[in-house]
Order: sequence, then structure tokens, then C-alpha cells
Amino acid sequence: MTVRRPRLVSGTAIGILIVLLFLVPVLYVVMMAFESPSHFLTSPLTPGSPDVSNFSGSWSSADLGVELLNTILYSVVASALSTLLGLAIAFPIARRLLRGHSLLYTFCFIGLFLPFSVIPLFAESRILDLYNNRIGYIILHVEPGLPLAVVLLTAAIVSVPHELDEAAYMEGAGYLTYLRRVIVPLIRPALLIAFLYGMLGVWNDIIGPVVLLADPSLFPVTRGIYNFFGSNESQWTLLAAGIVIASLPVVILFAASQRQINRASVVGGVKG
Amino acid sequence: MTTVRLGSRPSAVAPAGAGAAAKTRRPRPARLLSRGSRVTMWACLLVALAVYVLFGIVPMIANVVMSFTNYTALPGASVNNVGFSNYSAMYTTQAPGFDQAIVATLVFVVATTIGQNIVGLVFAHKLRGEGRAAAVGRVLVFMPIALGVTIVGLIWILFFNPDQGPAASLLGAFGVHSAFFGGDNWAMPLVIFVQIWQNAGFSTLVFIGGLRAINPSIYEAAKMDGINGWQRLRRITFPLLAPSVTVNVLLAVVGSFTTYNLIYVLTDGQYGTQTLGMLAFNAAFGSFQANLGYGAAVLVFLFVVTLVVAIPLMLLLRYRERRLFG
Repeated sequence: MTVRRPRLVSGTAIGILIVLLFLVPVLYVVMMAFESPSHFLTSPLTPGSPDVSNFSGSWSSADLGVELLNTILYSVVASALSTLLGLAIAFPIARRLLRGHSLLYTFCFIGLFLPFSVIPLFAESRILDLYNNRIGYIILHVEPGLPLAVVLLTAAIVSVPHELDEAAYMEGAGYLTYLRRVIVPLIRPALLIAFLYGMLGVWNDIIGPVVLLADPSLFPVTRGIYNFFGSNESQWTLLAAGIVIASLPVVILFAASQRQINRASVVGGVKG
Repeated sequence: MTTVRLGSRPSAVAPAGAGAAAKTRRPRPARLLSRGSRVTMWACLLVALAVYVLFGIVPMIANVVMSFTNYTALPGASVNNVGFSNYSAMYTTQAPGFDQAIVATLVFVVATTIGQNIVGLVFAHKLRGEGRAAAVGRVLVFMPIALGVTIVGLIWILFFNPDQGPAASLLGAFGVHSAFFGGDNWAMPLVIFVQIWQNAGFSTLVFIGGLRAINPSIYEAAKMDGINGWQRLRRITFPLLAPSVTVNVLLAVVGSFTTYNLIYVLTDGQYGTQTLGMLAFNAAFGSFQANLGYGAAVLVFLFVVTLVVAIPLMLLLRYRERRLFG
């Protein structure tokens, strides 16, 4: 369309605003991470000569290596579990294999609005011995990703033709074999989105570690870099470096999955 | 010679689904699963439901139960039934900060909901295109969601550092100084700003989806009648976006009622930013308190308030959708 539509606000102005708002603060923190602490104290807004000591400093003083491994463990395992359990609920719903399938769907749907309530979860973790241990922390983080997985996967499975179910039955394929060999490959984009979203939730959680973990060796990175905050000013550059380290895996993962997500939006029939 | 069929019986060897002549409805797939498979299906389903109930539903119930006790986080302390005293404490000044928390929550919810929707709508118009620039813009706007509340909160704390941050320097050029997150004047507005910044990406995506579903010929017809941008927005675009508005408004309202982790990172509820969720957390896990019973009561109150606001709102928005779309 070459004719200009009547505009309320200048399109270019919005574009500049978006770049300023969403790029500048991030770039500032990245720049900070490369400033030496002494340089930051005197002239924080100029880059100065790049100094990577912040990265090694924050890595060792917060034990970021261990914490990164913890974070990856928690988020990958918990999200894999929620995606798989979501599939276990979604398939019977999508194929209407139960009499109360739409009621079940509604039941899971309202789970999307249930907050991650740490006060009762803390009490529950004490009673069930899930407090301050890795397995407990993972188990406590499976439920938050479940409702979204159920909703996404139900929609995806509905678009898989029934003939495949029938063919598998004729061949005598078992339930789990059928899911693994036929359904999973066909709904891979939806599985990926459910998994990524669940993973993000666990990765970025700060209240969970504060309440449910006490032993520093169990902390994820969000909890670890939080320690830099609230200390004296010379730690600000270490905090910036910690932020960069903690967000790198997520940014890389996010960028790598862009194509899959775009493809999924088309497959799911939702444009864009 | 005509043969009269007195009621047709489906043949025992009719193929399972391939359109037998007498039946046009395919048999329910449940009959296709062998008995062993059905057992597996139920086993997996029940395990998944058990996790959902145990860690999603039970906490809600446990919360209500806890609100009638004086459960503390301290080991060895006894747990007693205290009746409604946690609730009556909310009305009296026994519980400092409760009234302020209600005000803070309302301000926070209204401001972030309106802000997120306006920002989402504006950004959606700009970022709806197919080109590379729009795609980059969408990635930028969605990035805070990927970064997460902790990183987002810490980024803005660094940016609004009252002594050395860029915002301070910018204001300093005009001779103005502010404590930003550390003062009563700007803590809440800045918290609202960061909350909107964090969630704008999601509202934008929803509105982009809604915009793409609008038939462009409507705009061409309107242009022939002569219509300016504001009228186009108000009379055509906004009504046609009703489903997206419903989704965005509901999610924003419910989300901002219950969320407090960003507030925790930015201000820990100080300087007037202590919403009800933050109050509950601090009552239970704050530095000088360990009153989970009271925290649970605040959460129950919050849950009721959320329902009381969200359900009529949802009904209203759906009614509006039906009226606009028939």
C-alpha cells in the first residue's frame, strides 16, 4: 500500500522510542559490565577501556558456575516434566477419550490464573520434605508450567488427523509408543513453546529461591546475583557483569528458537 | 423385487472408521485403544493430575486453612487455631500498612493495566508489519519477558541509580535530584513504569494478532468517506480489537493483582510500593516478621478481591464482544 494512511502519531517517533526504551538500558548495563570499578566510581557514563575483571570477579565471588548449573538443572528438568505431564493430560482431552473431557480442560485452564503462592507452598515443602533440596525445588516448579502446556498441546493435537490413531491401533502400537513416535514429532513446535515458556518461568524466578532454598550451594543465578545488590557501591560493576552472565543463556536460547516459534505460529493457524 | 430391511444392524466386520455406507459418524476413538493402552493412558493422566492438584489446588486450600492459624516459619513453634483474629487485625491498626496496601494495589493495578494496553496498542500498530525492521522491533519489545523480572529489575535499578546512573546524570543536567526508587515520590511511578516495560511485549503481540485479523477493505471503505486517524481508531480499529482487548485487560488485571516479584526486586515494598501481595510476602518472610498465618489471610483477601474485580470485568468485556460481533 503506497498511500499513506492518516496517522495519529508519527511512526518514526514510535520506532525511535522503542529503540531508546528497549535497547539503551540493556546496552548501558552491558557497558557497565566492562568498566573497571574504579573507572565506574569516577565517570560511570563513559566506557573507558574495556575491563573484563568484573566477569571473573562476579563469577568467582558469587560462584556463578555452580549457580548456572543449578539454574539449568532446575529449569530444564522442571519444564520437561511439566511439558510431558501436560501431554499426558492434553491427549485424552484432545481425542475426547474421557466423558468429562471439556470439564477437565476448564479445570486445567483456570490453572493459568493460579499464582505461584509461596506462603502455602513453603508450608507444603516443609511437610513433604521438599524444602532446601534440589529434587524438592524441581518438583515444586513443575505445576506452574502445566496449565499452559495442557492448553497449547490440546490445540496442537486436535490438528493431528485421527487416521493416524487408527493406523497405530491396527498396528498394535501401545499408548506411549504411539505418543513418542507419532504425536510428539508432529506437535514439536507446540511442545517447544510450552517447554520454553515453562523454562523461562523457572529460570527467572527470584521469590522461589528466596523462600524455598537456604543452602547457598543450591542457589540459581538469579539468587546469586541478587547478593551483589544491596552491598556497597564498588559492587555495582560486578552486579552488571553478573547480569550479563545470567542473561546470556536465555538470550541465546531465545534467539535460536525464533525460527521454530515463527513456524509454530503459522502451523497453529495464528498469523504472526 | 424389493427387499425391505427391518432395521439395519452394523455389520460386525465393518471397518473401524472408513465411512461404512450405513454410518456416517466415525466410532469414538476410545474404542480404538486397546485395554492395556487405556490403562497406561489413565495412569499417566492421573499422575499429571495429581501433580496439578497437589501443587496447584491444594496450596489454595492450605492458604485458607493457614489464615486461621498463627503458623510461623520458626522451627519448633506451635501452631494454634486463632480463629478470625488474622482477619480482624486487618481492620484495626493492629496490622500496620494494610490500608496503604489496598491503595497501593489499586493504583498499581489500574495504572499498569491502562498503561500496558495503551503501550501495547501503539507498539502493535508500529510492529505489525512483515518487514525486517518490524521483526527486530518485536524481538526488542519481547526481550524483557525473556530476561525475567530479576534481570529487568536489576537493569532498571542500575539505570535509576540515584548517584551514578544515567537517569541521575540526565536530571542533574537540569539541576534536579531524585532518589528514584529510594523515595516516596517516584518509587511507585517508577515501579509502574518498569512493570509496563516488562509486560508490554505480551500485550503488543496480542494486539498484533488482533490487528492482523481485521479486514483491510474496511479501512478503504472508511477512507472514501473521509476519516481521520483518531476516528479510525475509535470507531473501527478499537471495536474490532475487542477480543484482544478482553484478553489483554483481563491478564493485566489478574497479573498485576497477584504479582509482586518485580516490586520485591525494585523496592521490597518500601516507599509506598507495598501492594497486598508484597505485604503478604513481607509479613511471612520479611526481616522482622514470620507471621505466615497473617500473610495467608492477606492472600485470601487478595484472592477474593481479584475474583470480585475480575469476574464482573470478564463478563462485561465478553458482553461487549458479543454486542460488537453479533
